[in-house]
Amino acid sequence: MDSSEKVVAVIMVGGPTKGTRFRPLSFNTPKPLFPLAGQPMVHHPISACKRIPNLAQIYLIGFHEEREFALYVSSISNELKLPVRYLKEDKPHGSAGGLYYFRDIIMEDSPSHIFLLNCDVCCSFPLPSMLDAHIKYGGMGTMLVIKVSAESANQFGELVADPDTHELLHYTEKPETFVSDLINCGVYIFTPDIFNAIEDVSTNREGRANLRRLSSFEALQSATRILPKDFVRLDQDILSPLAGKKKLYTYETNDFWEQIKTPGLSLKCSELYLAQFRYTSSHLLASGDGEKNAKIVGDVYIHPSAKVHPSAKIGPNVSISANVRVGAGVRLIGCIILDDVEIKENAVVINSIVGWKSSLGRWSRVQACSADGDYNAKLGITILGEAVTVEDEVVVINSIVLPHKILNVSVQDEIIL
Amino acid sequence: MKALILVGGFGTRLRPLTLSVPKPLVDFANKPMILHQIEALKAAGVTEVVLAINYQPEVMLNFLKDFEAKLGIKISCSQETEPLGTAGPLALARDKLIDESGEPFFVLNSDVISDYPLKEMIEFHKSHGGEASIMVTKVDEPSKYGVVVTEETTGQVEKFVEKPKLFVGNKINAGIYLLNPSVLDRIELRPTSIEKEIFPKIAAEKKLYAMVLPGFWMDIGQPRDYITGLRLYLESLRKKSSSKLAIGSNIVGNVIVDETAKIGEGCLIGPDVAIGPGCIVESGVRLSRCTVMRGVRIKKHACISSSIIGWHSTVGQWARVENMTILGEDVHVCDEIYSNGGVVLPHKEIKTNILKPEIVM
Repeated sequence: MDSSEKVVAVIMVGGPTKGTRFRPLSFNTPKPLFPLAGQPMVHHPISACKRIPNLAQIYLIGFHEEREFALYVSSISNELKLPVRYLKEDKPHGSAGGLYYFRDIIMEDSPSHIFLLNCDVCCSFPLPSMLDAHIKYGGMGTMLVIKVSAESANQFGELVADPDTHELLHYTEKPETFVSDLINCGVYIFTPDIFNAIEDVSTNREGRANLRRLSSFEALQSATRILPKDFVRLDQDILSPLAGKKKLYTYETNDFWEQIKTPGLSLKCSELYLAQFRYTSSHLLASGDGEKNAKIVGDVYIHPSAKVHPSAKIGPNVSISANVRVGAGVRLIGCIILDDVEIKENAVVINSIVGWKSSLGRWSRVQACSADGDYNAKLGITILGEAVTVEDEVVVINSIVLPHKILNVSVQDEIIL
Repeated sequence: MKALILVGGFGTRLRPLTLSVPKPLVDFANKPMILHQIEALKAAGVTEVVLAINYQPEVMLNFLKDFEAKLGIKISCSQETEPLGTAGPLALARDKLIDESGEPFFVLNSDVISDYPLKEMIEFHKSHGGEASIMVTKVDEPSKYGVVVTEETTGQVEKFVEKPKLFVGNKINAGIYLLNPSVLDRIELRPTSIEKEIFPKIAAEKKLYAMVLPGFWMDIGQPRDYITGLRLYLESLRKKSSSKLAIGSNIVGNVIVDETAKIGEGCLIGPDVAIGPGCIVESGVRLSRCTVMRGVRIKKHACISSSIIGWHSTVGQWARVENMTILGEDVHVCDEIYSNGGVVLPHKEIKTNILKPEIVM
């Protein structure tokens, strides 16, 4: 790649109506800012973008309120010494539609390549090597793909690629029958030609809609089902039609990949990112032997402002956010403890997410233990919403507790409204 | 004066504890159950105790040999070769119970724990001049038991009503009797029931009297009642001899701790806890409504409530043991494990959580 050529990255962050599966945690924080391994979810793709050569700009596109992102965007721009901008859509346009809606801003610096990332995927984001592959293939776009088990493939976009040329031959979103165990990771790189492809979809759709509307009354009734011309999905509207036309190529990763659909999966993804810190940011991982600092087992992140008693034992796979207080003799395993939580003496937290400002009493126990360790199961992890109080000695197992509840009796397998 | 304790069989209801020792030797409030009875009998002037038993008499006698000397009381066994019900064992032990003194003798049911007001019972027996006295206790749900209907002022027993559907009274047979030797003449050596066959006949002759048991009474033949029984026992101990109860800033409510047990810093113990000899309770442990038997180790930060921890077991760090969890002898609960009502047979290691009450073989 010519060193004068610029690259920009676009991260799709969605909007409040998109995060419903993330309740009760999305009541407080937009899902993209929910911390995984102690960093906002969107921080992980952003820091991966930092490794792209000639990166000029990062754009976050979504329909969350601008003020929700203002603080984060300014602090991350400062931290990375790289302009990061939040672009708010007036309404959902689909991932391709959103990109197209802001085409003039994105093209301001005349970039030669545009990365497009979904914020809710968790992976190692091998962006520089993906860019090299894309330039070698010489197509309009290259997508990151991964092999998964045949049983789980149908929850994602399944695709077929040419084993030699890596060209995308066939693409279908969440098929009913098995097509392929190769799936779309939601990470792409495009040349600016992508805007023409989106425009074509949009124009065709407008033409079809007009034709229908003129031709029959029946079409009027079904008009609601016709998508607006500026709503363009990347998968069904771009990837499927352009497959097998020597325009799109695939780049396979053998690393980890998960889609962060539910709070349960966020715990899994937090674990994956913590493990990755060993290689990328080992300074973020806590250590301690139980003498001056708490005993640390495995990968643990502790925010510098958190206070953890030396007699506590933490880990593996724990992340502790700002201003958390962890008392004497506390045990934390596989959990995310959010800002301002207080955990009193001898409490135990296992496989759980504890919401902002919550308080756990002495000898209380917050735990999930599904038989098969299924992070995807509805009550596979225990979640306490914001400002939940668990009183002394109370046990909360496999439950979801909505914000501002006080638990003075033990619960198991329940959703507490 | 003599006494017969009806020990009976395998004590299946108190398994898994009775898989390790005969039921009368299961510890209750840091003392084998039967010692509570023997000590009360001794205090009331009894010099010779006969145990009616049909299972492992050697184990019992071996164990009780030490106490014979210590308490200055003679203990022997009368072994049934077939189950003889609640009256048959009296006929079997006839020769041991009868002597030239002609004094009445006590009969105690080994499952029962109470204040044993046996001296008052002797007074009561003398005062009414009848052939037999029984203790009765008031219960909330008489329909579950055999109700004893008495004449209110004298206590003379009018009749027995087994599991009444309609309310006839709230006093039930407490399983503590004082009988003249002549009662033995009424019992044949065959399986027979004292409540159903012998007492009704004596009552019909107006020679049976009932005394209302002052204080608490509990049949502790099963785990839930055992835990309730400990609460009642310790409550009674508070009134009678509170110096036996533990005191300290880490103690709440009624707690007994054997002098050889060690308790670490930052623990909170009580209410209604018994900690047996040689136990080690490490720092930051929470115990409530539970019995911790001889030689148990509770590791740091563990939390135990409403449970029985059998002899020489261990409970790991940050483990949680609750809701009628019963650990048999030598059970080891690993670190961070949760047990909700697990009933664990002896010599097991618990490595996975027990989320719902279940039996671990």
